[in-house]
Amino acid sequence: MKKVFLVVLLMSFVVISFSTKLIIKGSNTIFPIAQLWIEELKKVKPDLEITLEGAGSSTGIAALFNGTTDIANASRFLKEKEIKKMNEENKYFAPIVIAYDGIAIIVNPKLKIDNISLETLKNIYTGKIRTWNQVNPNLPKKRIVIYSRNTASGTYETFEKKVLNKERMASTVKMVESTQFEIEQVSRNPYAIAYVGVGYVTNSVKVLTVENIHPTKLNILNAKYPISRPLYMFIDVTNGWPESGVIKEYITFGLSKKGQELAEKAGYIAAYGF
Amino acid sequence: MREFKNRMNSILIKLTATIGIIALISIFIFIIKESIPALKEAGVGIFTTFDWYPTSEDAAYGILTMLFDSIILTVFTSLIVLPLGYIVAFFMYEYATPFEKRMIKSSIDLLSGVPSVIIGMFLIIYISPWMFEIGAWSPENMLLAAIGLTILSLPYSASLMQEALDSIDIELKESALALGSTKFTAGFKIVSRAAISGILNASILTINRIIGETMVVLMAAGGANMLPTSLLDPIRPLTAAIASEMGEVEIGSLHYSALFVSGLFLLSISFLLTLISKRISIKKF
Repeated sequence: MKKVFLVVLLMSFVVISFSTKLIIKGSNTIFPIAQLWIEELKKVKPDLEITLEGAGSSTGIAALFNGTTDIANASRFLKEKEIKKMNEENKYFAPIVIAYDGIAIIVNPKLKIDNISLETLKNIYTGKIRTWNQVNPNLPKKRIVIYSRNTASGTYETFEKKVLNKERMASTVKMVESTQFEIEQVSRNPYAIAYVGVGYVTNSVKVLTVENIHPTKLNILNAKYPISRPLYMFIDVTNGWPESGVIKEYITFGLSKKGQELAEKAGYIAAYGF
Repeated sequence: MREFKNRMNSILIKLTATIGIIALISIFIFIIKESIPALKEAGVGIFTTFDWYPTSEDAAYGILTMLFDSIILTVFTSLIVLPLGYIVAFFMYEYATPFEKRMIKSSIDLLSGVPSVIIGMFLIIYISPWMFEIGAWSPENMLLAAIGLTILSLPYSASLMQEALDSIDIELKESALALGSTKFTAGFKIVSRAAISGILNASILTINRIIGETMVVLMAAGGANMLPTSLLDPIRPLTAAIASEMGEVEIGSLHYSALFVSGLFLLSISFLLTLISKRISIKKF
């Protein structure tokens, strides 16, 4: 019995050490895309071993620095201090844009409002505007129920950077942990407002135009829509671009037609082939 | 053979007990270790400021608002649950027929087995729309969370209190009745007083449960990091904040560490309450 166990253990070690392994870390925003890519890749190459870890963008980039990951997914570009650190350590991380993400502002379909300015949006989220009739006198005099993703979310960080402009969110903003919940609540509450990734929007809520610009694919790709961002994948190319091997295979697949279709399936906007 | 079996059993029991103790100690060590960076960096500011903006440019890590929210919610819920729990327990002890007692007991057991996430869902889908009708501006709020916590902790509180009452010698009650006291007086003034340590103990354990409950407050409390001025304001207790942000936080960052500080705080409160309840149950009145 013991012998069998030992043999099995040894064999599994051999198998693990010889199979090709790819480690991907970072960004919960990109997680669904990466998951779809891996599923699809595994269909073609079943022996491929890929581990995917969500966590935050910064965690992925930190892992790239200490060499514990092959690919770092990030919903933001490198921060200044990260670029500095990269130069100090004589490393070079190559950014690859894999998709785009736009943040849609949603309200209940019953609310008679179609457009919102960035200024108003900021005033709502910082608590300067408390009722709907302050936004537009024709709207009911009802308190605005403001939803936001929690502070740890990448969507929150983007919203904070692009809309709040260094001001702090009001304490009356309701922080929730899922986008689905935001949509659900907005669809039921006629005086609620929330922001969600465009891919998640359903028919039960109304998407507002921001500064009279619709968050359409084209407007997000052209950066006309003000609350949008590119999503990245970083790889360590200090010793040259991976010309073969599993990292290259993964990147190539991700940027292929199929890979970009999967990015759209995950709710984002394809960066290539539009 | 029997000797051997006995020894094996005792070893097994000791081993399990040791594992439990080790697990508890390692949880404490783990949480303390993870919270050291935030304690070093943000210092006492964590416990003295109200702002929680852990990912902003100039980050703020004050947990005071959330702590107050936790305490206010716990106090409010306890004020509902504990008297109600006592009434249910008292009814079961004094007035219920064996059949009624069995019915209540089994429904309590059933209710206490309902997962808190189910209660959270029920609140959001069925109760929260009513909140507008009573004038709330936010469908999830402190009242909704308190209702959820009441559903969740009432069975627990009632069954613990009933056990406390049942543990009192029946002769005490019988002699009170023999001396001519009414059923109510015997139960309320004599037996309950004799069982006071057990009842207090049950109350503390219930409070402990309310303050540590996570899923219901995460779903129903509203999530706004504000001090409530009315029952219908949304709030964000500590447990909800930890549960909400732990999944997405950057591991090893100050934010991550600050969440552990709040966890440590909660653990200490619960530890303290358990200690008090132990002291009470040792002391016999």
